[in-house]
Amino acid sequence: MNSVRLENHMIRTFRLVPTIALAVALLGGAAYAQTIKIGVNEPLTGAFAASGTYVVNGAKIAADEINAKGGILGKKLELVIEDNKSNPTEAAAVAEKLITSDKVPVLMGAWGSSLTLAVMPKLMEYETPMVVETSSSGKITTTGNPYIFRISPPSAIEAAAFKGIVDKLELKKVDFLVINNDWGRGTAEDFSKMMKEKGITVGAVETMDQGAQDMSAQLSKLKGTDSETIIVTTAVDQLTLIFKQAAALGLKKRIITTGGSQNPDQIIAQAGAAANGTMHLTTFLPWFPDKTPNPEATNYFIAEWKKRGFDFAGCTESFRGYDGIRTAAAAIEKAGKAEPAAIKAALWDINIKGLNGDIVFRKSGPEGKESGQSQPNVYLIEITDGKIGMKTL
Amino acid sequence: MSEFLQHLINMLVLGGTYALLGIGLTLIFGIMNVVNFTHGVLYTFGAYIMFIVVHQLGVNFFLALPLAVVAGWLLGAAIELTLLRPLRGSDIDTTMLVMIGAWIAMQSGALWIWGGVAKSVTTPFPEAPLVLGPVSVSWLRLFVLAAAAMLIVVTYLLINKTKLGCAMRATFQDRDTASLMGVNVDLIYTSTFAIGSSLAAAAGALLGPVYVIFPQMGDLAAVKAFAIVILGGLGNITGAVIGGFILALAEELGAGYVSSGYRDAMGFLIIIAVLIFKPTGLFARSERVG
Amino acid sequence: MRAGVAILAIVAFASVPLWLRDPYLMNALITTGIFIIGAMSLNLLLGFTGQLSLGHIAFFGIGAYVSALTSLGFDVGLPFGLRIVHVPWPPIVGFVLAIVVAGLCGYLVGLLSFRVRGAYFVIVTISFAEVVRLVALNWVELTQGPLALTNIPSITVGLPGLGDLTLRTKLQNYYLVLSVAVVTYLLISRLVHSHFGRAMRGLMENETLAVSVGIDVTKTLTLAAVISAGIAGAAGSLYAHYIRIIDPEVFAFINTVTMVIMVITGGKGSLAGPVVGGMIFGLLPVFLRPIMAPEAQWIAYGGVLIVILFVLPRGIVPSLALRFAKPRTRAETVAPVAFSERDAKEHA
Repeated sequence: MNSVRLENHMIRTFRLVPTIALAVALLGGAAYAQTIKIGVNEPLTGAFAASGTYVVNGAKIAADEINAKGGILGKKLELVIEDNKSNPTEAAAVAEKLITSDKVPVLMGAWGSSLTLAVMPKLMEYETPMVVETSSSGKITTTGNPYIFRISPPSAIEAAAFKGIVDKLELKKVDFLVINNDWGRGTAEDFSKMMKEKGITVGAVETMDQGAQDMSAQLSKLKGTDSETIIVTTAVDQLTLIFKQAAALGLKKRIITTGGSQNPDQIIAQAGAAANGTMHLTTFLPWFPDKTPNPEATNYFIAEWKKRGFDFAGCTESFRGYDGIRTAAAAIEKAGKAEPAAIKAALWDINIKGLNGDIVFRKSGPEGKESGQSQPNVYLIEITDGKIGMKTL
Repeated sequence: MSEFLQHLINMLVLGGTYALLGIGLTLIFGIMNVVNFTHGVLYTFGAYIMFIVVHQLGVNFFLALPLAVVAGWLLGAAIELTLLRPLRGSDIDTTMLVMIGAWIAMQSGALWIWGGVAKSVTTPFPEAPLVLGPVSVSWLRLFVLAAAAMLIVVTYLLINKTKLGCAMRATFQDRDTASLMGVNVDLIYTSTFAIGSSLAAAAGALLGPVYVIFPQMGDLAAVKAFAIVILGGLGNITGAVIGGFILALAEELGAGYVSSGYRDAMGFLIIIAVLIFKPTGLFARSERVG
Repeated sequence: MRAGVAILAIVAFASVPLWLRDPYLMNALITTGIFIIGAMSLNLLLGFTGQLSLGHIAFFGIGAYVSALTSLGFDVGLPFGLRIVHVPWPPIVGFVLAIVVAGLCGYLVGLLSFRVRGAYFVIVTISFAEVVRLVALNWVELTQGPLALTNIPSITVGLPGLGDLTLRTKLQNYYLVLSVAVVTYLLISRLVHSHFGRAMRGLMENETLAVSVGIDVTKTLTLAAVISAGIAGAAGSLYAHYIRIIDPEVFAFINTVTMVIMVITGGKGSLAGPVVGGMIFGLLPVFLRPIMAPEAQWIAYGGVLIVILFVLPRGIVPSLALRFAKPRTRAETVAPVAFSERDAKEHA
């Protein structure tokens, strides 16, 4: 634990050096064309700091791997990383800075859906593409922004992937407990729709505020309903609390979580026995590299992650940063030049093996201005006796 | 019916810690007239102290609690001495803004030191809850309720039965007269802030293990503390205690029966209602501390 | 002398786009400008009537939502089977409606909260902002809740004889914000120097005395709240049409804090205070960004705030004014009055 802190300290202090160098170069007016840049717009402070930091660390692993293999188009890849402070106004300002000051030809970001939505007008204005690595709001790919290329699944796709599993689980009546933001509400909406089509009854839909720590009231209410399953969508911190509080209330229903921000290792560490019996719909399997579509890459990524001393629990989020950068880099290679228009065109043509599936962009949204959406895999895992296992169906 | 009973149990447990938060703030607000935005940070601080002491220093859980309270006391005194005392006599909004600056700086400091990933504290209590018929309550939460009750009683005795408490109450009623009567107002202010802060830290130390610990955890707690202060009346400890339970009850019932999305709004709606109909708080004899 | 400085400042601000080419800094200036308008409106309550309002972002956000919804249209069901369908109107109408609706909310809040003062008023205003945030978050049918209102159109201005001009570029938005800011400044300036302004200041300095000479406390404070809220609503509207996406996060407490910082460090009760404070704290993050780690930036931000308050507790503008004013004008400077504890307790 101490070495991680020290390492993070060092990483953050040493970030000063390249940033000062960059500032000097910019001020000096010299066209620093020796590197190819990818802008990284992530929350490093504020409410989403933990997740943003994971994604950035995953991105750095990708960048280092690419540079070790000779870079892109013969030049070094440079990540220009900026903090959007978990705030939409800042996210837009950061995008502005990356595109106009740092002159990046492509970005990755911005983690949260409202952050990404705030950036989108800037992408249109400056005609620069962005790889969206985590955001899940449906709006991002359906409002007609042709500069968006998303590798994470919106809840509609997650629901579609879950359709196949639903029959085998024999769900009859389902309640929802979701975080009160676009992600949670979107999930409740899309999953409800899918389940109703399958003849499953949807019961209560309870929400919890983003910062809430006590869900006892909602759980007490759900304890009394006649559903046998609760679908929960939120991030790891609230999941831990939900499991602990559910156990304390004696709530014995089947719980399935969705959304891909679960970090099951952290849940097991912090919720203990309360986590047993819970199932999780995830998009990455760091515990079973052989079951991922790209075992070699998974093993490499996990080994690098551990080597750098990062918390293993962060793998389930950081892999997106890794895949995001590799996607952008592949597009630059294909385009043959570090120019936004060429990269945007090239993104439609790439087909690379991501850590959780093939990354190929399909059209999504209104005709003439479609965004790109890739279709990642979705897996169901179960926690039993403090261990993670694939749910055999 | 069993659902209602469960809500009631939840409310009791939560109310105790809310009361601690409220008492601390009402003392500071009432006696010193400072809009203390660092209250939430002290809550967070208490929780992180538990984490450090239990997990990194390996100290026993029950010994760690008083350490957290003492640490909160020290930090509170430090804040008062360095930031508030030099500004004695300034406008209420200048001191408020200084508290905001300290809040921003300290919360970011916590993020810098411990990172954003939530921490949890393992407790010596069994995970299986105590089941009483249709309701369940975890042992840890029962302990929290007991500890909170004890701290409330101690504070009450401190304010009403000791010389320091008497001096505090005198300062609350009339600072200038108290000063003329020989009360060292500077000392009272520092003590008040320190005590209030230590209560916030205690609340954090007790609730940290119940929930999880992360840098922004104090923000919501601070807002609720303000609500409780309104409910109970400035400077009124008994009011703060009852206010804490009322807020917890409103949250539980509101989330359970009205709408879970509006759970945290309950507190605010109460505030607004109270202030429309009874601006001095629910308890009319609110002019005195204690 | 005062007017001269003001004119010089306006000319200086107007000339900025001529020499500043960096879009990133322009963007920072525009968003800072919008928040400065909000800060000026807050100053009316905070600086000239002495009411510590910490929920000001509510009016800003309400203005933003009203303006956005007016220009996007909506379809919402009400109790008793009623249904309201609104077709999109031009954003400029949204701007006007934002002012009106926000002002109305200011009136309601004024009525409610001026029965209490000091510490209680602080808490009421915080609560109001939180409730508004939660309504915006949960009334999904109207506000889209956390799904956010997107694709908000830019403001279109109809120029007589020249047709319509859609203000999409940074240059255009900069001048739009600057114009609104200048108008706001002039409006507040006239208000402050009028009979009404004297009533406000009288209330702030000694309420009992003011009442005894016939000043209607509630009416004065409520009117100040209405105007203050209306201006904040205008700022919110500008924000909505510039950033072009609004979600309930706009009501976050940190945004109120930003405006409060601008007002108090700049000097509450002074007209130029919010502008000076706004420029410093709106642009500080921009300057800190390249030189510090993200967490350190926030620590520095808090640190600068504390230092300014310690060194210049009255705020920058009043302190400078005192230093440079001639002896006669020194007496005329509006000095913010300490809110004595006794007054606070009497009203608690």
